[in-house]
Amino acid sequence: MTYPFPGEAGEIHFDLPTFYHKIQYLQGKTMLQQELMTLLTSGDPGISAFPDGDNLFKWIATITGPDGTVYENLQYKLTLDFPSGYPYQAPTVKFQCPCYHPNVDHHGNICLDILKEKWSALYDVRTILLSIQSLLGEPNNDSPLNVRAAELWSNQVAYKKLLLEKYDKEVRNKDS
Amino acid sequence: MVHMLYLITNVRMDIIHGSESEFQNAVDSLTQEGLAHIIEEWFLEVLQQDLRRNVAEKFWSIVNSEDNDNDTDCTDRLIEAVDYLHKVNMSYLPCIQRLESMTQLQQYRRQATLHKVTTLSDSMILLVKANILSSVPQSFQKSVDQFYSEAFCVFHHSTSDEEDNDEEDNITCKGCNTENERCRCKEIMEKFHTLNRKLDDIGILERISGLSVTSIVHNRIKSQVESMCKGNFETSYLESLEQWLDSKVLGWLNLVYSGNRTHIYADCIAGFRGRLLHFLYETFARTQIEQLFNIIIEYPESEPAILDLKVCLEKTDLRTLLVTSLKSALETRLLHPGVNTSDILTAYIASIRSLRVLDPAGVILELVCDPVRKYLRSRDDTVRGIINNLTDDGSNELLDELQKVQQLLDDSYHSDDEIDNWEKWMPDPVDAYPCTTSKSRRASDIISMLVNIYGSKELFVKEYGLLLADRILTHFNYDIQKEIRYLELLKLRFGEAHLHSCEVMLKDVADSKRLNTRVMDERRKSGISQEIDVISMVLSAQFWPPFREEKIKLPQNMQDALEEYTKKFEALKGNRTLNWKPHLGQVNIDIELKDRTLNFNVSPVHAAIIMQFQTQAKWTVEELSNVLEMPATALRRKIAFWQTQGLLKEETTDCFLLVEEHKGRSNDVIIADDEEAESALASAHVQREEELQVFWSYIVGMLTNLDCLPLERIHSMLRMFAMQGPSVVECTVPELKRFLDSKVKENKLLFSRGVYRLPKPN
Repeated sequence: MTYPFPGEAGEIHFDLPTFYHKIQYLQGKTMLQQELMTLLTSGDPGISAFPDGDNLFKWIATITGPDGTVYENLQYKLTLDFPSGYPYQAPTVKFQCPCYHPNVDHHGNICLDILKEKWSALYDVRTILLSIQSLLGEPNNDSPLNVRAAELWSNQVAYKKLLLEKYDKEVRNKDS
Repeated sequence: MVHMLYLITNVRMDIIHGSESEFQNAVDSLTQEGLAHIIEEWFLEVLQQDLRRNVAEKFWSIVNSEDNDNDTDCTDRLIEAVDYLHKVNMSYLPCIQRLESMTQLQQYRRQATLHKVTTLSDSMILLVKANILSSVPQSFQKSVDQFYSEAFCVFHHSTSDEEDNDEEDNITCKGCNTENERCRCKEIMEKFHTLNRKLDDIGILERISGLSVTSIVHNRIKSQVESMCKGNFETSYLESLEQWLDSKVLGWLNLVYSGNRTHIYADCIAGFRGRLLHFLYETFARTQIEQLFNIIIEYPESEPAILDLKVCLEKTDLRTLLVTSLKSALETRLLHPGVNTSDILTAYIASIRSLRVLDPAGVILELVCDPVRKYLRSRDDTVRGIINNLTDDGSNELLDELQKVQQLLDDSYHSDDEIDNWEKWMPDPVDAYPCTTSKSRRASDIISMLVNIYGSKELFVKEYGLLLADRILTHFNYDIQKEIRYLELLKLRFGEAHLHSCEVMLKDVADSKRLNTRVMDERRKSGISQEIDVISMVLSAQFWPPFREEKIKLPQNMQDALEEYTKKFEALKGNRTLNWKPHLGQVNIDIELKDRTLNFNVSPVHAAIIMQFQTQAKWTVEELSNVLEMPATALRRKIAFWQTQGLLKEETTDCFLLVEEHKGRSNDVIIADDEEAESALASAHVQREEELQVFWSYIVGMLTNLDCLPLERIHSMLRMFAMQGPSVVECTVPELKRFLDSKVKENKLLFSRGVYRLPKPN
């Protein structure tokens, strides 16, 4: 009869990749905890986020459209999924409710360079949310995901009318 | 058959009257017939019949002869009865001896054993006990008690070494409680000895006297212990009690049971001694346990009592009694609102120290003091009390404790020492909690026990910081030698990291002192004399606890003096400036009135108020409040100070007048200090609110994104995300509920259907 090490019954083999993964995970965890605090205490207007339930790696964010744009006073919910490699890998950010916007598709996917190829470990939740907030007012019409919205953008009045219609139908109704 | 009967009758006649040879013949012939064994059986039968029919009746009739319960009478009757029994016994003795000496009968005797008794005389004793003493009436026992206690009194009196000389010329003899001329001591002792001897001859001494003697001795031990040890804890009694037991009690037992007796009681007395010693320990321990609370309170003086008790505890099984009784004593005498926290702390410290002596393993301490700890935790000023105790000049107990250099032990602390001297290892007592290690129990000292009341040293260190700041700001002097010493001691204990801000605070004071001398030097060089001398205390805001806020506009000349100081500071320090807290300082003012000069040490607010009366002798509260830019209510409170000093007078409501002349008083200089010693720091309540504000941003964050949440969910989320990290702010569910409800009142939060949500913007 052999006895396992005390306390560590199942984990006798030492597996280097798992170990690194664990360290990464813990780093990410403290990192996110820290970010949550800075985000909440910085008090930037119009952006907010909080872990969804007990899982620190899945957040829900709220963005209010910037003043002076067609998105003024409109609130959008987003989900943030952090990979275990965060902050070395970008989180997956999606609109939870449909958002009518040139760079957002029907499933809520966002076309934003810093979330894809230009991701850097220096970005954090706050900068991501600020970027998305400013993206609402200043869409990148050169690489649209929603072509019709991109085409309509030049006509701000018509755009706003359509936007509010859609918002009322798709977001407000869902809320209530 | 006839022959046999004849022989038996013959034997009977012979035993009683007959000659040796005839008896022998009869026995011989019975032996020939093979019937020798019936001789003794017959004898015992006859004896038993006699005892049952005649002797018992007679004996009890003597004992119960008269019904009047006269004391001397009943002992006399006892003696008479015993005399009678003795006589009967003696009359049977020759027969028994004769029978016993018959060798032929020996072989049958073994078979005829009655209850393992092998000799005839033993059988006789057994029969006496069985037939006569089979039912002992209460009155008999009473008279025996009476007799023996009387005798004990006499004995005790005759052997005591004249303890109380002052009562010597008392007319009654202490031994027998009668007048000296008619002292019956001797008589009683004689009776006592004869009775004992007779009872012993019969063989029923222990049967008759055992119960009385034991109860007398027990009572005696009890009263002795109580008279000796009640209320006095400063000497050790155990040894003298043991001596007393050996000399007095055992002397008495010897007198009863031994000395030229046929039945040897030496073993019996040795056994008695063991039992009595145990009884003594137990009685003593019980007495001490009853007054253990008092013993603990008087601890350093009562150490002998504690050591005595320790010895007793090892020999008796009174541990549980001790724990429960001390626990309840502490609860009834200490843990109620009527007791000051400082007193509870003193008692707690005394308990720690004394119980550590009593039980080095610390288990009793742990068990007993648990409720005390819990109770102390519920008091707000406990930490403050502990720290005051630590840094107080008067009581050096804790300070000495502090100087014992030792790192503060956490509960989880563990070392390998145990393995090194495993030979000396002792198991924990049975009543120890298995979850805490014995090491931590043994090693933790008083300070760590005090700190551990709250379970963390952070709180302790924080409170120390607050008190230190308060002391510096209220005393307002630069003499910090003592504080530095305390801080160094505390640093050894709590580690440098925790006390960093306190260190900065003390450094601030030292720096301010230097700065002041430089400013003073420059001022002297420039040759301009100032109207008001300013001495400053420059504090690094980051490291000090939050200050009490108060609004005031100082009079112009004071303000100028401060500004001038600021300029000097800026010149010296470059790139830095001062942010004055005018309400926290202290002003030394001379007030020159028509008939006298007064000197005061007051707060700047007080000074500012009285200075207004320089220009104008009469002010209304409203006017003053406008000039000083402070609320009227606060102002009125401050004015009250000057009223008590007799300088201001409320002429009409809210209108104050300066009292220039004080009639009927000599014009001596009254020196008064500002009695109203207000703390310079924000109150704990205000601080707590601020701490909770940190949570508020989290709560807003979670409600913005997760819409609505019940109370428990908010709490658990806070626990998970906000109450982590190095500086943990704890918050209980009820406290959180109060906080959230206050937010609901401010309309910053909505509460409906058990969930909280944020109000929708417009």
